[in-house]
Amino acid sequence: MSATETSAAEAGPSATPVVADTAKPDTNTRVLNTRVLRHRLVDRIYHWLMAASVFILMGTAFFPIMGWKFEWVSLHWITGVVLTLLVLIHIVRALFWQDWRAMLVDGADIRDGVRSMRSALGGRGPAPGKPGKYKILQKLYHLAIAILVLSIIASGLLMLLKIDTPLWRRNPYWFDNDTWGVIYSVHGFAALAMITLVMIHIYFALRPEEWWLTRSMFRGTISPKEYAEHCDASRWRAEDRA
Amino acid sequence: MTRGFEAMALFRYATSLYGDSNVVIGASWDLLPWFVAAGATFIILHAVVKAIAGRRHHAG
Repeated sequence: MSATETSAAEAGPSATPVVADTAKPDTNTRVLNTRVLRHRLVDRIYHWLMAASVFILMGTAFFPIMGWKFEWVSLHWITGVVLTLLVLIHIVRALFWQDWRAMLVDGADIRDGVRSMRSALGGRGPAPGKPGKYKILQKLYHLAIAILVLSIIASGLLMLLKIDTPLWRRNPYWFDNDTWGVIYSVHGFAALAMITLVMIHIYFALRPEEWWLTRSMFRGTISPKEYAEHCDASRWRAEDRA
Repeated sequence: MTRGFEAMALFRYATSLYGDSNVVIGASWDLLPWFVAAGATFIILHAVVKAIAGRRHHAG
Protein backbone atom coordinates (compact mmCIF):
# COMPACT_ATOMS: atom_id res chain seq x y z
CA MET A 1 0.00 0.00 0.00
CA SER A 2 1.33 3.42 -0.88
CA ALA A 3 1.96 6.25 1.58
CA THR A 4 -0.89 8.22 0.03
CA GLU A 5 -3.30 5.41 0.73
CA THR A 6 -2.06 5.01 4.29
CA SER A 7 -2.52 8.65 5.17
CA ALA A 8 -5.93 8.81 3.58
CA ALA A 9 -7.12 5.61 5.17
CA GLU A 10 -6.05 6.70 8.63
CA ALA A 11 -7.20 10.28 8.31
CA GLY A 12 -10.76 9.49 9.30
CA PRO A 13 -14.20 9.36 7.77
CA SER A 14 -13.92 12.82 6.27
CA ALA A 15 -10.80 11.92 4.36
CA THR A 16 -10.72 12.07 0.60
CA PRO A 17 -11.59 8.80 -1.13
CA VAL A 18 -8.84 6.23 -1.03
CA VAL A 19 -7.83 3.59 -3.48
CA ALA A 20 -8.46 0.08 -2.28
CA ASP A 21 -5.54 -2.25 -1.84
CA THR A 22 -5.65 -4.16 -5.08
CA ALA A 23 -2.22 -5.76 -4.87
CA LYS A 24 -3.59 -9.20 -4.00
CA PRO A 25 -7.34 -8.89 -3.95
CA ASP A 26 -9.59 -11.84 -3.31
CA THR A 27 -11.31 -12.87 -6.49
CA ASN A 28 -14.59 -11.88 -4.92
CA THR A 29 -13.41 -8.66 -3.27
CA ARG A 30 -15.12 -5.63 -4.63
CA VAL A 31 -12.74 -2.72 -5.09
CA LEU A 32 -13.90 0.15 -2.92
CA ASN A 33 -13.06 3.76 -3.27
CA THR A 34 -14.29 5.05 0.05
CA ARG A 35 -14.24 3.97 3.67
CA VAL A 36 -16.60 1.13 4.47
CA LEU A 37 -19.50 1.76 6.81
CA ARG A 38 -19.49 -0.80 9.62
CA HIS A 39 -21.56 0.73 12.40
CA ARG A 40 -24.14 3.46 11.83
CA LEU A 41 -24.25 6.37 14.27
CA VAL A 42 -27.41 5.06 15.94
CA ASP A 43 -25.74 1.69 16.55
CA ARG A 44 -22.61 3.30 17.97
CA ILE A 45 -24.73 5.45 20.28
CA TYR A 46 -26.57 2.30 21.36
CA HIS A 47 -23.31 0.49 22.03
CA TRP A 48 -21.83 3.26 24.18
CA LEU A 49 -25.09 3.91 26.06
CA MET A 50 -25.32 0.20 26.77
CA ALA A 51 -21.70 0.17 27.93
CA ALA A 52 -22.37 3.13 30.25
CA SER A 53 -25.50 1.43 31.60
CA VAL A 54 -23.65 -1.83 32.23
CA PHE A 55 -20.82 -0.05 34.07
CA ILE A 56 -23.29 1.89 36.23
CA LEU A 57 -25.24 -1.30 36.96
CA MET A 58 -22.10 -3.23 37.85
CA GLY A 59 -20.81 -0.39 40.01
CA THR A 60 -24.07 0.02 41.89
CA ALA A 61 -24.32 -3.76 42.29
CA PHE A 62 -20.80 -4.69 43.35
CA PHE A 63 -19.28 -1.63 45.06
CA PRO A 64 -21.71 -1.93 48.00
CA ILE A 65 -20.88 -5.65 48.24
CA MET A 66 -17.17 -4.78 48.36
CA GLY A 67 -17.77 -2.40 51.24
CA TRP A 68 -18.39 0.97 49.58
CA LYS A 69 -21.77 1.84 51.06
CA PHE A 70 -23.99 4.38 49.32
CA GLU A 71 -27.62 4.73 48.29
CA TRP A 72 -27.41 2.51 45.26
CA VAL A 73 -30.93 1.12 44.79
CA SER A 74 -32.50 4.08 42.94
CA LEU A 75 -29.60 4.51 40.51
CA HIS A 76 -29.51 0.73 39.95
CA TRP A 77 -33.16 0.21 39.08
CA ILE A 78 -33.45 3.39 36.99
CA THR A 79 -30.36 2.38 34.99
CA GLY A 80 -31.82 -1.10 34.67
CA VAL A 81 -34.99 0.32 33.15
CA VAL A 82 -32.87 2.42 30.77
CA LEU A 83 -30.92 -0.71 29.76
CA THR A 84 -34.20 -2.55 29.19
CA LEU A 85 -35.42 0.20 26.84
CA LEU A 86 -32.08 0.23 25.01
CA VAL A 87 -32.17 -3.53 24.50
CA LEU A 88 -35.78 -3.37 23.26
CA ILE A 89 -34.80 -0.69 20.73
CA HIS A 90 -31.81 -2.80 19.69
CA ILE A 91 -33.95 -5.91 19.19
CA VAL A 92 -36.49 -4.03 17.05
CA ARG A 93 -33.70 -2.38 15.07
CA ALA A 94 -31.86 -5.66 14.58
CA LEU A 95 -34.99 -7.45 13.41
CA PHE A 96 -36.30 -4.80 11.01
CA TRP A 97 -33.44 -2.50 10.01
CA GLN A 98 -30.29 -4.59 10.34
CA ASP A 99 -29.24 -7.93 8.94
CA TRP A 100 -29.77 -10.07 12.05
CA ARG A 101 -28.53 -13.13 10.14
CA ALA A 102 -25.04 -11.56 10.18
CA MET A 103 -24.89 -12.49 13.88
CA LEU A 104 -25.84 -16.16 13.40
CA VAL A 105 -23.14 -18.83 13.55
CA ASP A 106 -23.12 -20.74 10.25
CA GLY A 107 -21.25 -23.75 8.89
CA ALA A 108 -18.45 -21.64 7.41
CA ASP A 109 -17.88 -20.02 10.83
CA ILE A 110 -17.52 -23.42 12.49
CA ARG A 111 -15.21 -24.71 9.74
CA ASP A 112 -13.00 -21.62 9.95
CA GLY A 113 -13.09 -21.66 13.75
CA VAL A 114 -11.78 -25.23 13.79
CA ARG A 115 -9.09 -24.32 11.24
CA SER A 116 -8.07 -21.25 13.27
CA MET A 117 -7.72 -23.27 16.45
CA ARG A 118 -5.73 -25.95 14.65
CA SER A 119 -3.46 -23.29 13.18
CA ALA A 120 -3.01 -21.53 16.56
CA LEU A 121 -2.02 -24.84 18.16
CA GLY A 122 0.60 -25.50 15.51
CA GLY A 123 -1.37 -28.02 13.47
CA ARG A 124 -1.36 -28.29 9.70
CA GLY A 125 -4.23 -28.08 7.25
CA PRO A 126 -6.06 -25.56 5.13
CA ALA A 127 -5.92 -21.94 6.25
CA PRO A 128 -9.11 -20.52 7.73
CA GLY A 129 -11.21 -18.35 5.47
CA LYS A 130 -12.11 -14.77 6.26
CA PRO A 131 -15.30 -14.05 8.16
CA GLY A 132 -18.16 -11.87 7.06
CA LYS A 133 -18.99 -8.82 9.15
CA TYR A 134 -18.45 -10.70 12.42
CA LYS A 135 -16.00 -13.44 13.43
CA ILE A 136 -17.30 -16.60 15.07
CA LEU A 137 -15.97 -15.50 18.47
CA GLN A 138 -17.81 -12.19 18.15
CA LYS A 139 -21.00 -14.08 17.36
CA LEU A 140 -20.57 -16.46 20.29
CA TYR A 141 -19.75 -13.52 22.56
CA HIS A 142 -22.88 -11.71 21.39
CA LEU A 143 -24.93 -14.84 22.08
CA ALA A 144 -23.50 -15.17 25.59
CA ILE A 145 -24.04 -11.47 26.37
CA ALA A 146 -27.57 -11.65 24.96
CA ILE A 147 -28.44 -14.59 27.22
CA LEU A 148 -26.96 -12.89 30.27
CA VAL A 149 -28.49 -9.46 29.62
CA LEU A 150 -31.93 -10.90 28.86
CA SER A 151 -31.73 -13.03 32.05
CA ILE A 152 -30.70 -9.97 34.06
CA ILE A 153 -33.46 -7.85 32.54
CA ALA A 154 -36.18 -10.48 33.05
CA SER A 155 -35.20 -11.16 36.66
CA GLY A 156 -34.54 -7.46 37.31
CA LEU A 157 -37.98 -6.43 36.09
CA LEU A 158 -39.53 -8.98 38.47
CA MET A 159 -37.33 -7.68 41.29
CA LEU A 160 -38.83 -4.22 40.74
CA LEU A 161 -41.94 -5.67 42.42
CA LYS A 162 -40.02 -5.51 45.67
CA ILE A 163 -39.35 -1.77 45.71
CA ASP A 164 -41.49 1.36 45.87
CA THR A 165 -41.04 3.74 42.97
CA PRO A 166 -42.93 6.83 41.79
CA LEU A 167 -44.56 4.55 39.19
CA TRP A 168 -45.71 1.59 41.28
CA ARG A 169 -46.02 0.31 44.86
CA ARG A 170 -44.07 -2.67 46.04
CA ASN A 171 -45.83 -6.02 46.18
CA PRO A 172 -43.48 -8.79 47.31
CA TYR A 173 -46.31 -11.31 47.56
CA TRP A 174 -46.44 -12.06 43.85
CA PHE A 175 -44.11 -15.01 44.41
CA ASP A 176 -43.29 -17.32 47.30
CA ASN A 177 -39.87 -17.34 48.97
CA ASP A 178 -38.50 -20.16 46.85
CA THR A 179 -39.46 -18.44 43.61
CA TRP A 180 -37.92 -15.18 44.78
CA GLY A 181 -34.78 -17.16 45.58
CA VAL A 182 -34.62 -18.44 42.01
CA ILE A 183 -35.21 -14.94 40.58
CA TYR A 184 -32.52 -13.37 42.76
CA SER A 185 -30.10 -16.21 42.02
CA VAL A 186 -30.56 -15.85 38.24
CA HIS A 187 -29.96 -12.10 38.57
CA GLY A 188 -26.90 -12.63 40.74
CA PHE A 189 -25.21 -15.37 38.71
CA ALA A 190 -25.83 -13.56 35.42
CA ALA A 191 -24.41 -10.36 36.93
CA LEU A 192 -21.31 -12.22 38.14
CA ALA A 193 -20.82 -13.78 34.71
CA MET A 194 -21.11 -10.31 33.19
CA ILE A 195 -17.93 -9.34 35.04
CA THR A 196 -16.02 -12.11 33.26
CA LEU A 197 -17.45 -11.25 29.85
CA VAL A 198 -16.91 -7.50 30.23
CA MET A 199 -13.27 -8.14 31.17
CA ILE A 200 -12.83 -10.28 28.05
CA HIS A 201 -14.59 -7.69 25.87
CA ILE A 202 -12.31 -4.86 27.06
CA TYR A 203 -9.26 -7.10 26.63
CA PHE A 204 -10.08 -7.81 22.98
CA ALA A 205 -10.94 -4.15 22.32
CA LEU A 206 -7.45 -3.20 23.55
CA ARG A 207 -5.49 -5.84 21.62
CA PRO A 208 -3.59 -4.13 18.76
CA GLU A 209 -4.79 -6.56 16.08
CA GLU A 210 -8.37 -5.70 17.00
CA TRP A 211 -7.92 -1.90 16.99
CA TRP A 212 -9.50 -1.68 13.54
CA LEU A 213 -12.71 -3.00 15.09
CA THR A 214 -12.44 -0.79 18.16
CA ARG A 215 -11.83 2.27 15.96
CA SER A 216 -14.91 1.40 13.93
CA MET A 217 -17.04 1.59 17.08
CA PHE A 218 -15.90 5.24 17.39
CA ARG A 219 -15.70 6.30 13.74
CA GLY A 220 -18.29 3.96 12.28
CA THR A 221 -16.10 3.02 9.33
CA ILE A 222 -13.16 0.84 8.38
CA SER A 223 -10.67 1.48 5.62
CA PRO A 224 -10.83 -0.37 2.28
CA LYS A 225 -7.56 -2.04 3.24
CA GLU A 226 -9.01 -3.29 6.54
CA TYR A 227 -12.08 -4.52 4.71
CA ALA A 228 -10.02 -6.42 2.16
CA GLU A 229 -7.65 -7.75 4.80
CA HIS A 230 -10.17 -8.98 7.38
CA CYS A 231 -13.48 -9.60 5.65
CA ASP A 232 -14.81 -11.92 2.97
CA ALA A 233 -16.76 -9.69 0.59
CA SER A 234 -19.02 -12.59 -0.39
CA ARG A 235 -20.10 -12.96 3.25
CA TRP A 236 -20.40 -9.27 4.09
CA ARG A 237 -21.29 -6.97 1.25
CA ALA A 238 -19.72 -3.66 2.16
CA GLU A 239 -21.72 -0.51 2.31
CA ASP A 240 -19.84 2.52 0.99
CA ARG A 241 -19.94 5.36 3.45
CA ALA A 242 -20.72 7.73 0.61
CA MET B 1 -7.31 -25.59 49.26
CA THR B 2 -10.01 -28.17 49.90
CA ARG B 3 -11.20 -26.25 52.94
CA GLY B 4 -11.53 -23.16 50.77
CA PHE B 5 -13.84 -24.95 48.35
CA GLU B 6 -15.85 -26.44 51.21
CA ALA B 7 -16.32 -23.03 52.82
CA MET B 8 -17.41 -21.38 49.59
CA ALA B 9 -21.18 -21.37 49.21
CA LEU B 10 -22.92 -21.03 45.88
CA PHE B 11 -25.99 -19.34 47.38
CA ARG B 12 -26.93 -16.93 50.13
CA TYR B 13 -29.42 -18.28 52.64
CA ALA B 14 -31.76 -16.67 55.15
CA THR B 15 -34.21 -17.75 57.81
CA SER B 16 -37.88 -17.47 56.89
CA LEU B 17 -40.64 -16.21 59.19
CA TYR B 18 -41.47 -19.84 59.88
CA GLY B 19 -37.98 -20.66 61.09
CA ASP B 20 -36.74 -22.38 57.95
CA SER B 21 -33.08 -21.42 57.78
CA ASN B 22 -32.44 -22.83 54.30
CA VAL B 23 -34.29 -20.30 52.19
CA VAL B 24 -32.20 -19.34 49.17
CA ILE B 25 -32.14 -15.57 48.72
CA GLY B 26 -29.63 -15.27 45.89
CA ALA B 27 -26.19 -16.08 44.52
CA SER B 28 -23.33 -16.02 46.99
CA TRP B 29 -21.17 -12.89 46.71
CA ASP B 30 -18.18 -14.99 47.80
CA LEU B 31 -18.10 -16.06 44.14
CA LEU B 32 -17.18 -12.56 42.98
CA PRO B 33 -13.38 -13.14 43.05
CA TRP B 34 -13.83 -16.43 41.16
CA PHE B 35 -15.58 -14.76 38.26
CA VAL B 36 -12.89 -12.06 38.17
CA ALA B 37 -10.26 -14.81 38.27
CA ALA B 38 -12.00 -16.63 35.39
CA GLY B 39 -11.79 -13.49 33.26
CA ALA B 40 -8.16 -12.89 34.21
CA THR B 41 -7.26 -16.53 33.47
CA PHE B 42 -8.86 -16.39 30.03
CA ILE B 43 -7.03 -13.13 29.23
CA ILE B 44 -3.64 -14.46 30.36
CA LEU B 45 -4.05 -17.78 28.53
CA HIS B 46 -5.16 -16.06 25.34
CA ALA B 47 -2.31 -13.55 25.50
CA VAL B 48 0.24 -16.35 26.03
CA VAL B 49 -1.15 -18.48 23.17
CA LYS B 50 -1.18 -15.46 20.83
CA ALA B 51 2.39 -14.54 21.84
CA ILE B 52 3.63 -18.09 21.22
CA ALA B 53 1.77 -18.33 17.92
CA GLY B 54 3.12 -14.95 16.85
CA ARG B 55 6.68 -15.95 17.69
CA ARG B 56 6.28 -19.23 15.79
CA HIS B 57 4.85 -17.33 12.83
CA HIS B 58 7.82 -14.91 12.77
CA ALA B 59 10.31 -17.77 13.19
CA GLY B 60 8.72 -19.76 10.39
